[in-house]
Amino acid sequence: MTGKNNANEVNWDDYLKAYYEKPSSFKSWSGYDIKEIYTPEDSPDEKYEEKIADAGKYPFTRGIHANMFRGRLWTKREVVGIGSPADTHDRLQYLVEQGGSGLNTIADVTYEMGLDADHPWAVNEVGLTGVNITNIKDMQTLTRDIPLDKVSWSLITASTAASVTMAQYIAVAEDAGYEPAALRGSVQNDPIHFRYCGFRPASPLDLSIKLGSDVMEYCTRNLPKWYFTTVNMYDLREQGITAPQEVAFGFGIAMCYIDELIRRGLNIDEFAPRFTFYVSCHMDIFEEVAKIRAARRMWAKLMKEKYGAKDPRSMHFRFAVHTAGCSLIPQQPLNNIIRVAYEGLTAVLGGVQSLHCCSYDEPMCLPSEKAHLQALRTQQVLAYETGVTNVADPLGGSYYVESLTDKMEEEILKVMKRVEDVGGMEEAIRTEWLDHELESEAVERQKELDDGSKLVVGLNIFKEEQEKETPLGAQRVSSQSAKQQIEEVKELKRTRDMSQVRDAIKRIRDEAGEGKNTIPPMMEATRAFATTGEMLGTVRQVFGYSYDPMNIIESPFD
Amino acid sequence: MKKNSNIDEMIQQLFAGNRRAASRLITRVENETEDHHEIMKKIYPHTGQAMIVGLTGSGGAGKSTLTDHLIQKFREQGKTVGVIVVDPSSPFSGGALLGDRIRLQRHFLDDGVYIRSLASRGYLGGLSRATYNVIRILEAMGMDIIIVETLGAGQDEIDIIHVANTCILVATPGMGDDIQAMKAGIMEIADIIALNKADLEGANRSLRQLQTALSVASLEEGQWAPRVIPTVSMGSRPEDLKGIDELTSAVLEHQEYLDTSRSIDQVKFERVEEELGLVFKDELQRLIFKGLRGTGKKRKYINSIIEGKNDPYSVVDEILNTYLIRKKKK
Amino acid sequence: MIKGKKKKIKALVTKVGLDGHDRGAKVVASMLKEAGMEVIYLGMFQMPENIVKAALDEDVDVIGLSYLSGEHLIFTPLIVEEMKKNGLDNVLLVAGGTFPAEDIPTMEEMGIDKVFRAGSLSESFVEYIRDNVKE
Repeated sequence: MTGKNNANEVNWDDYLKAYYEKPSSFKSWSGYDIKEIYTPEDSPDEKYEEKIADAGKYPFTRGIHANMFRGRLWTKREVVGIGSPADTHDRLQYLVEQGGSGLNTIADVTYEMGLDADHPWAVNEVGLTGVNITNIKDMQTLTRDIPLDKVSWSLITASTAASVTMAQYIAVAEDAGYEPAALRGSVQNDPIHFRYCGFRPASPLDLSIKLGSDVMEYCTRNLPKWYFTTVNMYDLREQGITAPQEVAFGFGIAMCYIDELIRRGLNIDEFAPRFTFYVSCHMDIFEEVAKIRAARRMWAKLMKEKYGAKDPRSMHFRFAVHTAGCSLIPQQPLNNIIRVAYEGLTAVLGGVQSLHCCSYDEPMCLPSEKAHLQALRTQQVLAYETGVTNVADPLGGSYYVESLTDKMEEEILKVMKRVEDVGGMEEAIRTEWLDHELESEAVERQKELDDGSKLVVGLNIFKEEQEKETPLGAQRVSSQSAKQQIEEVKELKRTRDMSQVRDAIKRIRDEAGEGKNTIPPMMEATRAFATTGEMLGTVRQVFGYSYDPMNIIESPFD
Repeated sequence: MKKNSNIDEMIQQLFAGNRRAASRLITRVENETEDHHEIMKKIYPHTGQAMIVGLTGSGGAGKSTLTDHLIQKFREQGKTVGVIVVDPSSPFSGGALLGDRIRLQRHFLDDGVYIRSLASRGYLGGLSRATYNVIRILEAMGMDIIIVETLGAGQDEIDIIHVANTCILVATPGMGDDIQAMKAGIMEIADIIALNKADLEGANRSLRQLQTALSVASLEEGQWAPRVIPTVSMGSRPEDLKGIDELTSAVLEHQEYLDTSRSIDQVKFERVEEELGLVFKDELQRLIFKGLRGTGKKRKYINSIIEGKNDPYSVVDEILNTYLIRKKKK
Repeated sequence: MIKGKKKKIKALVTKVGLDGHDRGAKVVASMLKEAGMEVIYLGMFQMPENIVKAALDEDVDVIGLSYLSGEHLIFTPLIVEEMKKNGLDNVLLVAGGTFPAEDIPTMEEMGIDKVFRAGSLSESFVEYIRDNVKE
């Protein structure tokens, strides 16, 4: 399909074709056949109370709260991470001034890998895609002047470095006079999934479970208002898998952590109410809503039947949505605003608790201030103008959506069974079965675009000449910020009291070696100005791994 | 295209250990360019001295990680190592994904290690047609040890025995391959069997099965008894690795056995015999089709066979009589 | 099935630096293989030296760089420099991933022969490579 050939030559045959055009596919995005129309006969023995129920009632298909958005709007939480802690702090503040209701900061690749800003491999990439918090001063800069007992802060560190992030955050909060029990927010803390996002050196499986669970356990006992994990099925979906696979693999990973926490002696109802998920919303509106409803129903059953949860809050599938980055393309970038709007709508129709809408420049660079604002405004238009917040689960009762929800549940179960058949999630990860699934799906998605079985405006239809500029300007990360941060780190390492650092590191080593929770000694070490790489590296060594995930530097404490 | 003097220069550089020359020459030889005969003729006198170790075994058994460790051990002993990794070409597209290099990362910047990936290009037997020549080129480059990693190990993919002095079969517990391999006779071909992933369940049972199978194989006096070595080659931590030292020692011991028992002579003989056969076949085909090219005769022959007027054997007789002088049997 | 005496194109596909978004690189490697090319896939955490050393030893016709974390302007000159140092001027250099449109001319000036943005259809890069590898 092409547009006009020439301003003066409309192809009227093409016009006629367009006028009578039929869609080329009647499948959902994940590949399921969809009927022309759905009727009551598609759910002949629907048992409302048992299978669907009102919002706020088990199995929570329609939402985890009875009044959903009437009770509280979802949190408008745009992800922020750019350059230095100071840069990030400023952008964060800006979005709050513009109406953002949740704080959300993301680690850069160097921090996620557990590297200090002055690591030989980090120096080129500090701050390019997020923020690096090498030491307590960085965390202080990031949180400067922000009332930590009033805000809800989502810290996006997913890898084993999340343990360091928590230690740094809590230490800073305590030192500033806040009670840990008053802290509200979340830490992504899902090192297991992160191996599929390129962080395998930082997230070996056993260390992922150990440190991930340390954070979860510590927060369960000390930060009652904190969500200690956001099991990230979003990033898995970004690899190109289908909606049912997203949920099935996400659940599988969540259960790895749950099993560990139970092994440590925690009761399911002690921690499950603080479990959250990070979910994608892709372009197929109804499939995504059905996916979320199915996930809610299935999670509730899983918690109740498999784990014996009694507290209804343990059964809540509590989730944040990140609209699908992989659905956006660099061609004709303003179209991405539309895509994100639809995906945001989908998230809200699905009953999301916290939402990040991508900025339209996502496939090109970090969000520029204007693009970031646009994403926030997208959420605000949705919240205040469309009326979708008036009713809990507005799509509930639709013959299509109920049928599709059942279908999603069926398909999710199929994938979970396949994982069981290969020996369970840990086995699927260890044998690289999951790697193969992700890789083969990615190739399928590419072929679908190549052969036109999936259509994307600007990519394989309605293509235009490549634009030369990013609308509203491309975001740059100042190399000056990075240089400054690196200098500050070096300076810190020169001037701190090394004997204190050594003692603190030794304590981490000893306690990790005794199988104790690593958060308390990390907090102490952070206060003594031990750095991210030093703390994480020491724990790595206790578990037999190299101090440095990149195998370049040696521990200065050996 | 490069002229002769350039080739001579490249070859001289090859003898001096120049990587670029090696790399370029390997490409020419692999692509069977016009001058690849010339190249092989000039290189050949400088070959034959390297220790050649072959690794074969099904995908996923851990060949590449074992290769990685072997390279490390040999380097620690001050030996230079050439590595050839073969991966299958797609029968549909003719393309290939040569992904084994990833597992050999730590040696990338070591000047004493040269790694080359080859696609099988339709050649059956576990290697590529070019492998034989690439080994010679690496020998001429001065490599002390050459490791050849084949693709898979089915019943047919055992060409490795023709090129390697020491053949290592990499098996894993409970994959069923060990039983299959026994039937295929691979057991008799492998000098060493690395039972990799020996930390998995069923490892002890597989170990016993293998040892039993080997013990019933009939051996002559003084012949090398194939050895089974349990290994764990994949581990994020040094302490997870097992059996690497034992494997390396076994390889070196086998080399020593070959030298002292003069079995190496037999090995060399068979290797050259195989090479000769291949070159002979290639050359013959090339000459004949070169002779037929442009004459339209090939097409005529084929059509006459289809029409029932002729058969392949008679055609070949006629061609050989026409293009080659054939001495009558006495 | 396509048979032919055409020289096989050898391609090297790699990520650069710490960036771990490898979905695109893996897909490109697969699609190049399906187009009949022999692809050396280097994976993640490669520095310029490693990349060029591998390209040299494998005598590749084209190097494909995958950039998805803003590192494209930092590493490109380093890689081009390393290629020049090792006499790989004849090797085609292409890049794909996430970058602003404004940076494309810059990358080309730095030495990249062609830039492909995220989501490019396979035909575009396969044909480009086929048409432009040097003999």
